[in-house]
Amino acid sequence: MMTGVRPLGLVLLEMILLVLLGPLVTGTIQKIKARLQCRQGAGVLQPYRDLAKLFRKGTVQSDTASGFFLLIPVFVLAATLTAAALVPVVRAGPSAFPLGDALMLLGLLALARFLTAIGALDAGGAFGGMGASREMTIAPLVEPVLMMVVLSTALGAGTTDLGILAAHRGTSWIFAWSAADFLGFAAMLVLLPAETGRIPVDNPDTHLELTMLHEGMLLEHSGPGLACMVLASHTRQIVTLGLVSALFFPVEPLHVAGAMGFLLGAGAFAAKILLLSIYLALVESSYAKLRLFRVPQYLGVGFVCALTALALRIL
Amino acid sequence: MSAETVHTIIDDLGALLLFTSILILAASQVYRAIYAVAAQSLFIAIAGAVLATATGNRDLWVIAGITLVVKATLLPWVLHRVVQRMNVRREVEPVIPISTTLALAVLIVVMSFHLSASLGPVRQAITGNALPVGIALTLLGVLVMAAQKKALTQMVGLFASENGIFFTAMAVTQGMPLIIEIGVILDVILAVLVMAIMVLRVRSTVDADIADLDRLRG
Repeated sequence: MMTGVRPLGLVLLEMILLVLLGPLVTGTIQKIKARLQCRQGAGVLQPYRDLAKLFRKGTVQSDTASGFFLLIPVFVLAATLTAAALVPVVRAGPSAFPLGDALMLLGLLALARFLTAIGALDAGGAFGGMGASREMTIAPLVEPVLMMVVLSTALGAGTTDLGILAAHRGTSWIFAWSAADFLGFAAMLVLLPAETGRIPVDNPDTHLELTMLHEGMLLEHSGPGLACMVLASHTRQIVTLGLVSALFFPVEPLHVAGAMGFLLGAGAFAAKILLLSIYLALVESSYAKLRLFRVPQYLGVGFVCALTALALRIL
Repeated sequence: MSAETVHTIIDDLGALLLFTSILILAASQVYRAIYAVAAQSLFIAIAGAVLATATGNRDLWVIAGITLVVKATLLPWVLHRVVQRMNVRREVEPVIPISTTLALAVLIVVMSFHLSASLGPVRQAITGNALPVGIALTLLGVLVMAAQKKALTQMVGLFASENGIFFTAMAVTQGMPLIIEIGVILDVILAVLVMAIMVLRVRSTVDADIADLDRLRG
């Protein structure tokens, strides 16, 4: 079922929408978490204020850092923003011009992760190195499983193009899921906290050296550089959530053309992201952070689910 | 309901059953394993109800009801009570590391798909993945029993394994005779009750663990 192509303007618009909404998702998750802990919490717009503050600050750099260090945040942000362009937000269907597919998206996210780790090592700080080594321990467990989930969905549709995948999902929802979709979604739910850097794998709130993965890598960055890194991690989070919703939920709930369809698509997208945010907040509030050596076991559940989903598709 | 819909629903339930089996395998606390096995029994009961509406077989309704009451509610409650009464460490004690168990689980799932594919003519009679999923569930239950040191988690494994056999029987034969099913369920109840009492007694009299029983002392 093809629902028309996505022109360049729409793709750019969707990308800008994702980048602008990224901090809002983080703010929403933090707000829900605060309410679950019976706190008032900061407003949902707090991440925007943090970003604005960081962009105004000056930069302090470690003496041991090379010239490459200053470019790292720009590269990371660029890779993540490009990944954001690949996610269908309000409309399904193939793009009107050559655009990367789901593998490209995962590759770009992996590139951003790699660059972040390189930057952390470059600065020469102990925490950065530790954060990088931990991140690189977790990444090989997360990325292949994400790839397997994407592939198991792609096998059903016969393509890895995200727009066509989303169109293939059509307008029906859970009732049209096949057995493999259930397992793939279960694997995704296990992976989501790991990919977005949240409890039980990572803790985004603390700077305690024992607990942090992603935050550890950002310690040496400051000012606009840090703002770029933070914006990149907000964007990465919404891109991951967008990937899940494009793979498993319908992008267009009703086939309506024109501005009405656009608004409906945007509304549906907001609803899906809100649902996944609530899930993340609930998981983060109800579980403790796992010991690092327990993480492979946790991610193993996702791995087995994804592999079983593939088995159900192929065998 | 058309046959097509029924097969889709049974397939989907099979996926959910596999997921609960994986959760049982990966559970690091006894409680979670118990909840997972209760959820699995609930899915089995739903599968029974779906098949009952599809085939009009009234025995299947009885079996679904018994499964719901006994296996999804009563037995998990008994296990829960035993854990509370024993007042032991809540973490499971695996014989082999859980990550190895998960790798073995992958192997089992793939093997059972291969096995049922090689069955050829039998497979033809049943559409969908019910047979390989059933085999995988049964073997995963056995794996839980083999991989755990505690008697309680071994009970959970027995439970899961029995669920697998049940699912296979239901999906493949469209319902066994009622008397056989009831007999099987009674067996499981008795096994769990006897084991629960045994565990409590052994614990209170000699304060031993199952692992201590594998060596003879003269």
